[in-house]
Parts: sequence; structure tokens; C-alpha cells
Amino acid sequence: MAEVLILGAGVSGHTAALHLRRLLGREHSVTVVSPNSQWNWIPSNIWVGVGEMAKKDVVFPLAPVYARKNIGFHQAKAVAIRPKGDANDSRGAVDVEYTSPERTGATERLRYDYLINATGPKLRFEATEGMGPDGHTESVCTADHAVEANEKLRKVIEVLKTGTPQTLVVGMGHGTCTCEGAAFEYVFNVDHELREAGVRDLARVVYLTNEAALGDFGVDGMVFDQQGFQTTSELWTGSLFRERGVEAILGAHVNRVDERTIHYETLDGSVHTLEFDFAMLIPPFGGVPLKAYDADGNDITGELFAPSGFMKVDADYTAKPYEEWRAEDWPTTYAAPGYDNIWAVGIAFAPPHQISKPQKSPNGTVIAPSPPRTGMPSGVMGKTVAMTIADRIAHGPSAAPHTASMARMGAACVASAGTGLTKGSAAAMTMLPVVPDYQRFTTGRDERETRGELGLHGHWVKLMLHYLFLYKAKAYLGWQLIPE
Amino acid sequence: MSQLTMHEPAGGGDPIVDLSKAPLPTTKTLRTRRNVPFQFLRFVAFDLRIMRMVIKGHH
Repeated sequence: MAEVLILGAGVSGHTAALHLRRLLGREHSVTVVSPNSQWNWIPSNIWVGVGEMAKKDVVFPLAPVYARKNIGFHQAKAVAIRPKGDANDSRGAVDVEYTSPERTGATERLRYDYLINATGPKLRFEATEGMGPDGHTESVCTADHAVEANEKLRKVIEVLKTGTPQTLVVGMGHGTCTCEGAAFEYVFNVDHELREAGVRDLARVVYLTNEAALGDFGVDGMVFDQQGFQTTSELWTGSLFRERGVEAILGAHVNRVDERTIHYETLDGSVHTLEFDFAMLIPPFGGVPLKAYDADGNDITGELFAPSGFMKVDADYTAKPYEEWRAEDWPTTYAAPGYDNIWAVGIAFAPPHQISKPQKSPNGTVIAPSPPRTGMPSGVMGKTVAMTIADRIAHGPSAAPHTASMARMGAACVASAGTGLTKGSAAAMTMLPVVPDYQRFTTGRDERETRGELGLHGHWVKLMLHYLFLYKAKAYLGWQLIPE
Repeated sequence: MSQLTMHEPAGGGDPIVDLSKAPLPTTKTLRTRRNVPFQFLRFVAFDLRIMRMVIKGHH
């Protein structure tokens, strides 16, 4: 009998848990540890943030699903990994602290034979003074944050209805943020809501981003084939900004946020202030705070984790200039070096470097989007590691691992630009691979599969994905037929 | 090389991207983006592309 422990119940952790349960016999146990009692389809938080969906539409309780599927569940946060066990037991262990109302603060040491770290991000609002729901800006990173963002947005719309101009800023709250796509979506949904409310002409809408170019999305932009001509994601997204009258500020690092003022620096080193009445700024992500100890209790956190808090895996972490970055630098198996029973997937793994070219302002401020590793790639990683573990259990430690490099896999990014079955629209993009490979493709990606389209159909796709992935996450009949 | 660069508006203010070089969609394009039968075909095409990508690139 083997015990598999999964830390995190987001897209990658939950996907891994469901596939492991499907692949392993009943004699093996699969257990999930997550501080959250609910699963959240995060891409739809955008719609909660503009009031087009309620919180209940994007979350559901995990416990009943895990009970039905015979998956163990601890509502707790992992605080330490002991990969070589402790003085009492040489099996690996994870120390957890419960977050459920009935056991808050209680601790336990859980043993494992195989461990998947899918802990996702720590939202580092503290990286920028005054940012976040406890400060002066909104967020859509969680369903609760999105509910709050919508409440603030409604108040601004009411003020606009009195004829008072308002400035709305949406973007990235730090030079090293990721998830630019979420801010892109939110700014156009806000624009859409303002138009629907008939107050767009009184609103100044600004997209404030750490991207050096529009359409970069933290993946170094894309080159599309459009009607026989190459076009860039920069011109393509620029067209939407121009059409909608949304202003854009590029290469920005937010230093501080006061009650009504954002202080930021741009790539040329100049510093500026931007007055606002409503601001939604995405925070930078870090790894969740996890310590690691050897069997004697010595701290080995630096051995397992990068300084960012993300777990080291089978990537090439050698520091080298942008020009020498290669597709092979990216991990394929997600196994932790030196451990044949620990993996990190989704946001939890440490990327070898950025995807977009990192830049510094003359003041030395790093303004470089971090690589996105959410959504489709997260799910694929979770399933891949689940298959590796299932094969190891079935065929022994010599079973070849399954692989899924972000430099080989594709992703779809459907960025909503407004809702409504006949009035909605979205920028629907596909890219293959996620990490450009200039050795294989002149534009870095397969031109046949890398496309961008704007239109109503994009909204339908995003809506379809919402219902499909909620169905899949609830593990209803045939869930495994829905691809990651 | 960035095609849409930042500029500081005359008379001060925040530096913003000069979008004048970004192509504006024509009226026909805007109509096409809302045309339900055409968009349905694009919906099917996009779904097929995702599936092809899943088969080609996921493992």
C-alpha cells in the first residue's frame, strides 16, 4: 500500500488527486491538504469582480467531492516538509496546521510515500506598500477579493452617474508580477460595464503594467498569422486598447500606493504618480512559506526551495543571459532534485528564468514579468505527475517518468473583454509552445497553432470552459474525458 | 522592437502608449465580431484548434 500526499487543491493539485484516485487501486491512499475548504475556478473571478457572476458560481466545497471519490482531505496548511522523515520514522512527512473551524491551530505530522507540492502562490500584497484589500487597491485573485472589487466598482459607477469624472486603474502592482492576462481581462470587463451603465465617457480607464510591450503577457508576446500576414500580439492588443479608449502605461513598477495615488517608476527610470478613484492591482506571487528539515531537524529549506519560495525541480537553474535561454532549461518531470518521491507542479515549481526579456530601470529596479504557469499548463503538470506516480507504484521505481515541458506544451488563453451571450467578446489566443523555442520555430512558436482572434465566440469559449472545468473539478460522470 | 511606444503628453501628465499606430478595426470587422452565425463557426474552429493542440502538445 502506498500513500500519496498532495499539498494544494488548486487546478494542478486537484487534477493530480482526481487522476491518482482514478489510476490507483483502493489499497493505495490519496490525501489532499489544502487550507481552503472550497475549490475556486479562478479565471471566472473576473466576472465576479464586475458583478456578472456571484461568488457561489465560481466556488464549491471540496470535502463532499473528496468524500465521494474516497480521497482523504485535511483542511490545513502545510508548514514544513521532512523528506527524510524524523527520528521516529524514516518515511517522508509533512507538518500541517489545521485551518478548519473545528480544528484551527491544531498540528499534525502526515507521512507519505509520494508527495506532490501544488501549493500555488502566496499573494504578496506586502511587496508594495499600500496595495491590496487591506490597503487602497482591489484584487480579483480570490473570489472574496473579487466580490469586494465589484462592490467598490459599483460605488464608482454611482459616482459617475452623478456626472463626476472618475479614474479607474487596472494592472500590475509590482515590477515582477505575473498573470498580466487577468488584469487585461479585468480592464476590458470594467470598460464593458461602464459602457453598459452609460457612463464610459466620464471615466478615464488606465491599464498600468510591468510588461515592456502591450500583448507581452509575460510570455514574450506572440506572432500570429493573420490572413496570410504576420502580426504581433502587441499590435493586435493595441488595436483593442485604441478601439475601447483604454490608456496604457508600460514597463511600470509600482513603489507605493496612497489612498488615492499610485507612485510608480517606469523602465526609463522616471518616477510618476497616478491619481485614482478605483484601482485593481494584481500582487506579485511568491511560494507559500514552507520550511524543510532533514531527519536530524536541520534546516534544509535552501536545498529544496529557491529564494522566491518556489520548489526547485528538474530545471536548469544556471544563471545565464536572455540570449542563452533555451527550451531545454524548462523542467519536464517536475521531480525535486535528489528526491525520487517529491514533485512540484503549477505555480509551486521554481521556473528557471522569466520568459519575457527581463529589464532593469537605470535605478536598478527589476521590471520583468514572471512566467505564467496557471490554467492549462498547471492541469497538464498535475496529470503528468499523477501518471508518473501511478506507474511507479504499479511497475516499481524504474518506471520511466511522464513528461510535460512548458517548452513543448500549448495553452489557450481566453481573455474576456465583456460579457453577454450576444454582446460579449473575448480575445481568444492559443500558443504552442508556451515557452518560445527559437531553435525550432523562427517566431518562437508553431505559427499554425499560435493564433489570436477577437469576437463574440471568445466569450462563448470562456463560458464553456467555466462550465466544463467546474463539471470536471466536481468529478462528475466522464470528468476524465475533459482534457486539462 | 516595440511598435507601440510610450510618450509623455505635451503639457505634462502620465506617460502613455501612443496607440495611433495600432490598427483600428473597420466597421465590417466590428460587425463580423458580433455576427452570430459567423461567430458560431469561429467557436467551432477555436474548439477544434484547442483539441488539436491538446493532442499535439500536451504529452
